[in-house]
Amino acid sequence: MSTQASVRPKADGGDSDDSAGRTGAQSAPQFRQPISAVLGRYSALFLLAFFVIVFGALKPDLFLTASTFRITFSEGVVTAVVALAFLVPLAAGTYDLSVGAMMGTSLVIMNWFGANTDIPIGLVAVGTVVLCSLIGLVSGIIIVKFRVNSLIATLGVSQVLSAVTLKVSNNRQITGAFSDRFGELGGKIVFGVPIVVLYLLVLATVIWFVLEHTPVGRYLFAVGSNPEAARLAGLSTTRLTYGSLAASGGIAAIAGIIYAMRVGAYSEQAGPGLLFPALAAVFFGASQFSGRPNVWGTLIAYFALAFGVKGLQLSFGPGTFWIQPLFQGAALLVAVGLASRQISQTRRSRRTQAAAAAAYATRQPAS
Amino acid sequence: MNEPALEIRNLSKTFSGQVVLDGVDLVLGEAEVHALVGQNGSGKSTLIKVLAGYHQPDPGASASVAGQPLQLGSASAAHDCGIRFVHQDLGLVLELSIVENLMLTRPYPRAFPGRIRWREARLLAGQMLARVGLETDVRRPVGELGLADRTGVAIARALPDPALGRAVLVLDEPTASLPADEVERLLATIRRLRAAGNSILLVSHHLEEVLDVADQITVLRDGRRVVCTAGAGVDHDGLTRLIVGHDLAISTGRAEAVASTEAGVLHLEGVAGATVRSISVTVRRGEIVGIAGLTGSGREALGAMVSGRLPRTGDVLVDGAAVAPAAPSAALAAGLAFVPGERARYGTFASMTVRHNVTMGSLRRHVRRGRIDARSERREVQEWIEELGIVTRGADAAITSLSGGNQQKVLVARALRLEPKALVLDDPTAGIDIKAREAVHQIIERSTESGLAVLLVSTDSDELARLCDRVLVMSHGRVAREIRRGSDLSPEAIDLAQVAATAA
Repeated sequence: MSTQASVRPKADGGDSDDSAGRTGAQSAPQFRQPISAVLGRYSALFLLAFFVIVFGALKPDLFLTASTFRITFSEGVVTAVVALAFLVPLAAGTYDLSVGAMMGTSLVIMNWFGANTDIPIGLVAVGTVVLCSLIGLVSGIIIVKFRVNSLIATLGVSQVLSAVTLKVSNNRQITGAFSDRFGELGGKIVFGVPIVVLYLLVLATVIWFVLEHTPVGRYLFAVGSNPEAARLAGLSTTRLTYGSLAASGGIAAIAGIIYAMRVGAYSEQAGPGLLFPALAAVFFGASQFSGRPNVWGTLIAYFALAFGVKGLQLSFGPGTFWIQPLFQGAALLVAVGLASRQISQTRRSRRTQAAAAAAYATRQPAS
Repeated sequence: MNEPALEIRNLSKTFSGQVVLDGVDLVLGEAEVHALVGQNGSGKSTLIKVLAGYHQPDPGASASVAGQPLQLGSASAAHDCGIRFVHQDLGLVLELSIVENLMLTRPYPRAFPGRIRWREARLLAGQMLARVGLETDVRRPVGELGLADRTGVAIARALPDPALGRAVLVLDEPTASLPADEVERLLATIRRLRAAGNSILLVSHHLEEVLDVADQITVLRDGRRVVCTAGAGVDHDGLTRLIVGHDLAISTGRAEAVASTEAGVLHLEGVAGATVRSISVTVRRGEIVGIAGLTGSGREALGAMVSGRLPRTGDVLVDGAAVAPAAPSAALAAGLAFVPGERARYGTFASMTVRHNVTMGSLRRHVRRGRIDARSERREVQEWIEELGIVTRGADAAITSLSGGNQQKVLVARALRLEPKALVLDDPTAGIDIKAREAVHQIIERSTESGLAVLLVSTDSDELARLCDRVLVMSHGRVAREIRRGSDLSPEAIDLAQVAATAA
């Protein structure tokens, strides 16, 4: 039997007119995201709008006032900065759970130097940022050199920092006796906007620029995506990890400085309590826009939650002090739950797309 | 005549208007090995997924197992009929022992109050292994086993209880990453299962083994069944033509070896580490030197050592300058680029776009005042897409939306855009379809024209014979033999040398 004869397509297959018969399928396949995924990407904005409308309708005289907006924004700035501190190493896949304690450390240093020395406060602030960056670097060394999981390393560091703040403050409130000019730096209102909000916007813009528009940002996300491939692509993954943790320490220090400007005194509740709200904002924010940790998503997510809490407090009075953790916990669970559902959906649709693209590609030359 | 073990009629599947399967028939006889072949995108994986109950078929399809109707698109119905699947990634837990892996999908024999009867479990595991012809201590971790034996364990686990009757076993690319000698062992296992009366549906890209073992071959192209032919009635070239749909312009190899007067670019001197004992080799300008060898010969670690993924001793020199060990960035800076094996693990950034994946690691030429100029970056990536024929919907498509072969081309683009002096490729065409493989081969060939020195580490003897000026066959961590173009370089010679060197 000749090979040629035996392998010829059978008549019932009808394959000879294969390409002619499917001209209708020749057009490029459609690549679309499910609507729910698109809506999910802007859910924080919808939530923010929802809160403003609902509480605006419920308590127009209390909620829809310039002072409520001013207070909510300026109260939120410190936590939002802590969230940004958490965001930077997270881009590279590293969890920095010491950001809250770091902010507390920064605050206690500012107050201690303010109360006990005559060193200009500006200099103290710069020194604090440098010191906290170095502490971040130490976390980095623990993670990279000693191969300790970042969750554990930074959790340990955060406890050590808590101990330091307790020791320095002697477990009492310290009032830094800052000058009025320093206080003004935190309390001023510029064109109707609290100046601390402007600080936040400047800081956020810088971080956004670095993460989204520079090679360093690109490389941080690459390390977060696939550290082994990043190393093989020639990136210095260890330096990127060190750098991101040092940056995180410095940003958390700035949060402490802003708190010192606004409030002045140190009290032991100041730092570690901010970790969870910050973390919730970053993870909620990571489900927004690009679908990975990002600056604007984080800020919008944070303030959407802050306005929700403020609205509830204004609507239902002082008995609702417990509402904040409930709100933030629920938001984190819902946001992350939705995001991982979204990811699996996108993956499924990508798989379909891949199949379609492959089918399309193999069909092209045949026509 | 007996009822066929599995019969599928008129199976179609449409994804959002895209016809992926179009009226496919498949008849798997009792105690038959039936191969399902076709390029990526031909519909074979969709067919398998419908059979596994992962996808619902379009209305109008029917199926039966040993005469009993089977509801397609239901995982439990398929399982109840005795259809079992072994997928390419095997689904084994390497840290667990063989017996623990085998028991993952079935209950342990228990005693009060829930204590596992280990002795009984081990006995049972031994019996299960015997069905696939494996004899080894079932307490060994699966990670210690060779790849063929791991596949054997996965098959043993998939086989239904003998009391339930014969099985229909679907093997999805079981040999994709097996070296030649291990493939033979797996094929022996397949024959053994057939002799015991089981029916096997074998999905594979490797035509040699398909022709070797299959009783029947079904070829899919563009979602249609092109032909179902007896395995004995077709040869390699004929089957290739059926799969691709036209003659593939496979050049039979490079015209002649690079002159030995060309300057050496990449030197390895006494490179050692892991399974590599000592390797010294010089790759000249424009030369492609192949590295062959069975698993365990050192072949599997050499590429990773040269590229800096794994630590090593000994010297690697590019144009006479020494490259620091265990530092990929140092190798890249010295002009040594590489395409790592195991694409998803060491190569691609799954959450990023084609553009990000191409330019990763070297963005300098697109940075203006500290900012990445996305437009200039996109322009360069677009050029690479055209240059290498990457099938994608654009530079900003997600890398995961590309087929495996096209993802591989992205990694090749990432290496070539650095304009390296030397290039190390580690199994560059593993698990990609014929057409993409051919395209990657042409890219590698073309890149040597400008004087690039290429070190090609591969498990694919055809690939080595086609591309290389000479092939070094490794064994026991050293070069056992060198086969040169112009004398006796052929896939058979490489296969033979690999096995002979190991036996020596």
